[in-house]
Amino acid sequence: MRIGTAKQSYAADQALFDSATQRTWVLVLVLALIAFPFVADPYWLYLACLVAINIASATGLNILTGYTGLVSLGQAAFMGIGAYTVAVLEQRLGTPAILNLLIGGTVAMLGGVLVGIPSLRVKGLYLAIATIAASFIVHFLFANLGVTGGTAGLSVPPAKIFGVALDTSFRIYWLVVPVTALMLLGAANLFRTRIGRAFIAIRDRDISAEVLGIPLLRYKLLSFALSSFYAGVAGGLWAYFFRVVTPESFPLQMSIFFLAAIIVGGMGTILGAILGATFMTMVPEFLKLVVGWTSLGADSLQYVAPIRIIVFGVLIVGFLVFEPHGLAEMWRRVRRFFHLWPFKH
Amino acid sequence: MDIWFLIEITLAGLAGGGLYALAALAFVIVYKATRVVNLAIGEMLMIGAYTFFGLSTGLSWPVWLAIPGAVVASALIGGLIERIAIRPMLGEPPISVFMVTVGLSSILVGVVELAWGADTHRLIEFMPRDPIVLGEAFIAPKVFYGFLTALALTLAVLLLFRFWRGGVALRATASDQGAAYAMGIAVPRVFSLSWVAGAAIAAVAGIVVGSIGGLSPTMGIFGLSVLVVVIVGGLDSIAGALVGGLLIGVVESLAGGYLGGEYKLLTTFVVLVVVLMVRPYGLFGTRDIERL
Amino acid sequence: MFSPSVSNAARWLRRLALPVALAACVSSAFAQAPAKEDIVIGASVPMSGVFAFAGIGIHAGLGDYVKWANEQGGIDGRKLRYVPEDTAYKVDVSVAAFKKITSQNNVNLYYGDSTGFSKTINAEIDRGGNILMSGASFASELNDPKKYPNQFMLGPDYTEMFGILLRHIAKETPKAKVAFVYSDTEFGRDPIATSREAAKKLGLDVAVEIMTAPGSVDVSTEIIKLRRANPDYTIFHGYVLAPIPEFVSQGKKMGLKSRYMGTFWTMDNSTVMQMGEDAQGFMGVMPYRYYYDTEGKSPMLDQIRKMRPEYQSTGYMQGFLGGMLFAEAAKRTLAAGKPLTGPNLKSALTSLKDFDTGGLIGVPITIKGNSIPVGRIYQADVKQKRMVPASDWIVLE
Repeated sequence: MRIGTAKQSYAADQALFDSATQRTWVLVLVLALIAFPFVADPYWLYLACLVAINIASATGLNILTGYTGLVSLGQAAFMGIGAYTVAVLEQRLGTPAILNLLIGGTVAMLGGVLVGIPSLRVKGLYLAIATIAASFIVHFLFANLGVTGGTAGLSVPPAKIFGVALDTSFRIYWLVVPVTALMLLGAANLFRTRIGRAFIAIRDRDISAEVLGIPLLRYKLLSFALSSFYAGVAGGLWAYFFRVVTPESFPLQMSIFFLAAIIVGGMGTILGAILGATFMTMVPEFLKLVVGWTSLGADSLQYVAPIRIIVFGVLIVGFLVFEPHGLAEMWRRVRRFFHLWPFKH
Repeated sequence: MDIWFLIEITLAGLAGGGLYALAALAFVIVYKATRVVNLAIGEMLMIGAYTFFGLSTGLSWPVWLAIPGAVVASALIGGLIERIAIRPMLGEPPISVFMVTVGLSSILVGVVELAWGADTHRLIEFMPRDPIVLGEAFIAPKVFYGFLTALALTLAVLLLFRFWRGGVALRATASDQGAAYAMGIAVPRVFSLSWVAGAAIAAVAGIVVGSIGGLSPTMGIFGLSVLVVVIVGGLDSIAGALVGGLLIGVVESLAGGYLGGEYKLLTTFVVLVVVLMVRPYGLFGTRDIERL
Repeated sequence: MFSPSVSNAARWLRRLALPVALAACVSSAFAQAPAKEDIVIGASVPMSGVFAFAGIGIHAGLGDYVKWANEQGGIDGRKLRYVPEDTAYKVDVSVAAFKKITSQNNVNLYYGDSTGFSKTINAEIDRGGNILMSGASFASELNDPKKYPNQFMLGPDYTEMFGILLRHIAKETPKAKVAFVYSDTEFGRDPIATSREAAKKLGLDVAVEIMTAPGSVDVSTEIIKLRRANPDYTIFHGYVLAPIPEFVSQGKKMGLKSRYMGTFWTMDNSTVMQMGEDAQGFMGVMPYRYYYDTEGKSPMLDQIRKMRPEYQSTGYMQGFLGGMLFAEAAKRTLAAGKPLTGPNLKSALTSLKDFDTGGLIGVPITIKGNSIPVGRIYQADVKQKRMVPASDWIVLE
């Protein structure tokens, strides 16, 4: 049983990592992430980068949906804005990668604010549907503007950091994972501030929040802005990772994927977005592995996709019905078990 | 372009809008009773169409038997969905239930792909194939008969809501669940009823849509336009579904006729955004007033 | 005592990765032991998803060729090995499949499933330098040996398909009025701009270009436009089937005299026959011969018919031809005593002059650019339920 975690100051109580054990584990994790590229093969590195990008975007959506209570089905479109911005900047101007990512995030953020404007008048499901509309309009722009290369899209030169072209999974890992880690740290800190707490108040009951003196429009827009900034940076990473950006790269399905990720992971927790995005990204690969083990041969491959689609849906429905707080809650329960061990309660 | 082009395009839009209205009707019935925004509406159409395909092509049932068969089967599936996935969500925030339907749509697509594969299929031809001619304007036959079906079904539903006991119970539940309970209405049964009815209508719509555009596991995309229609018409208004459907049909058709196919979806979504900004509860919807 | 960490997920990942990495090391150590290593054909195949109708055929075709080639003794005593993965026609899944296959095998030849994948993986292929790639895409963009030096396609690109159709039209009906109907996708828009020019050069009049929204059900508006243009020929592109039947059936009912044409992915026998009676006379361009085509000498087609007694799709033919050209490139590279690198394989492939495909394609082929600009017009005969030749083989210069 864990004892002796009495806090002696507010600062200690609010600390991000509040105990020595926790700090040790974080250190272990960081070391593991640094060691990972040296032991993993390109396939696992590829998956690790993809997971990291999805975590970044899911965390952004979690700020908006999980913490502020505004449902958006436009996350993929905002990623697209970021990706296209980075692609154009890298291709036309060749500006430094980090700057491109920041600009990509900012342009996506402007888009997010624009979409967020109806959020004061339009709420809940209507807002969700308005974001669908926004993503179709964005898709139209990608496919028909001159600068975006039409339906053929753009190819992106590799990101360059200190003159090194990040053109393999091993190299791009060192851009993707640290940026994602920074974004996670930022998000975790956000909810220790006034802004973050205002978001939560809005989620719990927006009219009450307004009565308490939280300017609704400003904070809702801020939430949209932050969330789409995350999406934009994640989209920029995506562009550097896949190196080709087309209008069909960011379908509505992808937005649903992110929503599913935070539902499965746990809405309104940082850990939730991490667990959810990791889990949902790995599910297809895992399923393929399982079907591969069954000795049905190559022909069984054709059942993988339908099964994956079904599993995807079942996970969403199942978690909503049985565990609305998601994997994060399950994880917390496991932890509590060990904290209290050998006692039951 | 000449005036006949405009007339022809408008007529095509109206007739095509009938299809939207039909699917929107299925949506509105569910929403009206249960307050569930059903994002799986397109996939419910698809299930209806595939069941019809399975019965008529797979088992070679005659058309007059396969259509009712598919409608009944879909209705049962609708009831099942309500019982398994929607009922447990009673009392949860509407967003969660909405998300459940997102998950459902994915499950339905997967089931269809598993059962019938991902290939496209064609339904057997069962509608008259001669175009309808009005002056110099031609109207595609399938779309025209789809339009008639939509009109007839909408009218029937309106009458049922007005005069039938079940319909009255449905309306009562829609306006106040607590009061409906108190008056002895079995609200859970009303819930089931609305999903069964919604799924049945969706099946009819699916069969019409499938006979025009063919079957594929991606035909659920049709549901997106339906979503636009119901938002524009008002989520809980049957008349709104009809008017919204026709309106969106005409707008799409005009956009396609004068601007080009790539503008179709764009224009409908722009209309959607405008309506949302001006009348967030739709043209005919009931305005919710929020109290603390 | 136990406490949380920011992410247990990454740890889980790492735990899985270690044994896999170890296994990869061990297996590659073993793989180098035998003197004659297998020649590996990796493949991202869409066995499921929207493109499965073609992918299942492609998979069977590639697999059959490899089986046959190994029965003939392989290449220079080395066996061919076929390593497929399902992609569900999704680019990211396809890239994952590529990474998985290439990190577990020493791959020299790769089959990709989509234009998106071919474009995405191109940089990786060029950097690695060990792989010659082909695939299911006929995108005009890929037909550029400068941008895509280590890729090629198994037939004419979409612009060339249009070129073949237009040449046939110009020959049959000089100065004909032509309509292009295409979907608002990368696939649909691909050949339109270039073919407009080509039509003009052939003296044809492009009366109307109609773009349909992807996935649109009701195409009444578009049919109205087509009726007003009243073309002699209508070419559909960017679809598999829907909404072509609706255009054809309504067009006929409205008294249009137009003839209707399609491109490769529409042209499988079973796809065209789904149109029922309306299929009668539907034409299109096809770079391969159909399974049931017995005219002339065609040893490889006979072989296919022996291995598979039932009809095989055009996707199968594409896969089979893919295997054949992969093998031929490998054979020529090894015969020249060169290592199997991407550039070597590609130059071996482009050295093919009037190569005999054993009847898969009706004329000897020569690869120009990244494509094989050959095709023949076939048209549907509903009574026989077959596609029958409507022209000679057309080779674009």
